[in-house]
Amino acid sequence: MHHRICMVSDFFYPNMGGVEEHIFNLSQCLLLRGFKVIVLTHAYGDRIGIRYMTNGLKVFYLPLYVMYNQCILPTMMCSIPLLRYIFIRERISIVHGHSAFSALAHEAMLVGRLMGLKTVFTDHSLFGFADTSAVITNKLLEMSLSNCNSCICVSHIGKENTVLRARVHHNRVFVIPNAVDTDIFTPDPSARSVDKITVVIVSRLVYRKGVDLMAQIIPDICARYSEVQFLIGGDGPKCWLLQEVRERCGLQDRVTLLGSLEHSQVRSVLNKGHIFLNTSLTEAYCMAIVEAASCGLQVVSTCVGGIPEVLPPDLIYLTEPNVQALLVGLDKAICDYKSGKVVPPFKCHERVKSLYSWMDVTKRTEVVYNSVAKERNKTIGAHLRSYLRSGVWPFLLVVSFCHLVLSFLDWLIPTEKIDIARDMSPSAHINNCFKSEGDCEWSSKKKKS
Amino acid sequence: MKLKKTYVQKPRKWKKNLYENHGFLDNYTDTSFLEELRKNLNVKDSPLPTIILGAGRVTHELCIIVLFTVIFVYLYNGWVEPEAVFMYSGCLTSLGYILYRFFLTAAMPYTTLLKDLRTVLVFLGFGYVLSPVLKTLTDTISTDTIYAMSTFMMFIHLVFFDYGISASIVSSALSLNAALFASVCLASRLATPFHAFVLLTNTVECFALLPILVAEIEDSAVILSTVILLSLVALCTVSVTMTVLFSCVVIFVTIICPLLFKKWTRYKENIYGPWDEAVVEDQEM
Repeated sequence: MHHRICMVSDFFYPNMGGVEEHIFNLSQCLLLRGFKVIVLTHAYGDRIGIRYMTNGLKVFYLPLYVMYNQCILPTMMCSIPLLRYIFIRERISIVHGHSAFSALAHEAMLVGRLMGLKTVFTDHSLFGFADTSAVITNKLLEMSLSNCNSCICVSHIGKENTVLRARVHHNRVFVIPNAVDTDIFTPDPSARSVDKITVVIVSRLVYRKGVDLMAQIIPDICARYSEVQFLIGGDGPKCWLLQEVRERCGLQDRVTLLGSLEHSQVRSVLNKGHIFLNTSLTEAYCMAIVEAASCGLQVVSTCVGGIPEVLPPDLIYLTEPNVQALLVGLDKAICDYKSGKVVPPFKCHERVKSLYSWMDVTKRTEVVYNSVAKERNKTIGAHLRSYLRSGVWPFLLVVSFCHLVLSFLDWLIPTEKIDIARDMSPSAHINNCFKSEGDCEWSSKKKKS
Repeated sequence: MKLKKTYVQKPRKWKKNLYENHGFLDNYTDTSFLEELRKNLNVKDSPLPTIILGAGRVTHELCIIVLFTVIFVYLYNGWVEPEAVFMYSGCLTSLGYILYRFFLTAAMPYTTLLKDLRTVLVFLGFGYVLSPVLKTLTDTISTDTIYAMSTFMMFIHLVFFDYGISASIVSSALSLNAALFASVCLASRLATPFHAFVLLTNTVECFALLPILVAEIEDSAVILSTVILLSLVALCTVSVTMTVLFSCVVIFVTIICPLLFKKWTRYKENIYGPWDEAVVEDQEM
């Protein structure tokens, strides 16, 4: 079945993170498998309009007002004309929204549904249920997903979480993990220090990543083992805490803070280490530990969220999220390294390679697309009835109004009057690319290969 | 739409990980789904008397405000001499002080007593000297505004008062200041500066000193009912309508609210699971 897929999210390149990585790699693999894929996101600074990335991936940077945390202002109706125009022009059949935080994804999914397109939503994050903000976001998600054809979660915990907070039927929720480009993250034991043991941490330095735990572990480990040094990549609002600890304990020569890293630099940093430490407090999937394992490092990680599902037990040391347990886990990893009881880096790499690949993720996502494409379209009445189930009456007004605006637009600019963009054959472009030896414009937009 | 459930039944068991379940559909839901879900971990079902005594703390503070207002009304109408009010309230406060210093907290050395005495004298001296200023401070404001303002300030006092529960809204300073402001407003309606001085002394006794004493005493039904009864009787001498209204409020706060609280605890449904953010306990570094 041929689908024309529109990935929508507020988070995309030049922003960096798990969601962005997922969208980019999934789109690339879908292009390779002959699907048409476009990406919608909001403008980043002067990056506005249409750009092409690797393999002719068409990215629309929409001129929408960014409100908070890289999210657009959720007006629900202001972007309708623009979204409708793009959906018709590109002959989209499936709208695939990413991330529960992304207002643009929810808006595009609403418009897409009202236009009779199929919608798929991928949830990349976990949420609690305790505080007010969680209660509100969960309600919004429930409203948005009550009409979504299918949801995808990146781990089984993520599925349980989404089923609970958005009240989606569990049959409509698929679990398809993230993957890691194992061809990029290859081991290189020669880059490692011979007489020292390097513990690598690569993460954004924010509270959720457990910087407070790091700050308590580093001095203890340094005091216990004179041969251990720390290499920390990443930046964030909690960076000062690590700087302070380093200063206070006089560890300038043993704790290196690299600041924020480009994605392309991560591999070389990982390869300098023997042990990878992850101290996240909550995590739906955690790509970082898979990248580290793919580079052949021993992984020590807190056992939170989806992390216990990600790696087989012989590749990871799981600990409770507290200082004592993490110290025990690191102790064990260091001891195992000293006594040589570790999985050799290349073997580790092969294991990870056999477990995760973006192509596998893409094939599994295709199954979702195929099942969704077979579903029948709902009438506006049926739409409204399912929105009603979330119990938020005023939202029906919003949906009805959007429907009216769309009908008005159908009259004002009929579909026939909109130019249809020609579908590019991705394989032809890739061949062109190979012929002209990389001087084509879409080969260098992202430093991937 | 129904998704087909014809996944290949393999003898292999489904495992909760992301790499071993080949042969299962991606939307397969195992029987272990949500088995780590926990509900209402931190909900404790308190017995009704405890809840009523807890609500009684609010009633108690409400009664103190009423008693204070009654004193004002008596002073305002000249039904009582300010000297008498000063004497009686002074005696009661001394009693409370003795109770607090010698019975509720560990016996203090002699120097503490001297220090406390000095504080009292400084307060009385400055209060007496400054009372003409305080009396005329809000003199030019119309009486309606004064009463509205005092009511509003007393309401703020009630909202931000420290009832012994650590919540972010609690602010003893704001609470005390609101009560002080209300009494400065009221003081301007009194006849002489000495009246104003007596009223302010009473404010400090009721809203600054009494809470310290009350915090040390355990919740008890006897004290609570005494205070309620006292304020009802006192209010009755001023206005019967107000007494009826006030008793309605007291019944609502002390009886109806706890009953509703007890009844609605059943509906409480807090969900906990592996997706919750881990909490970092602070350690001495």
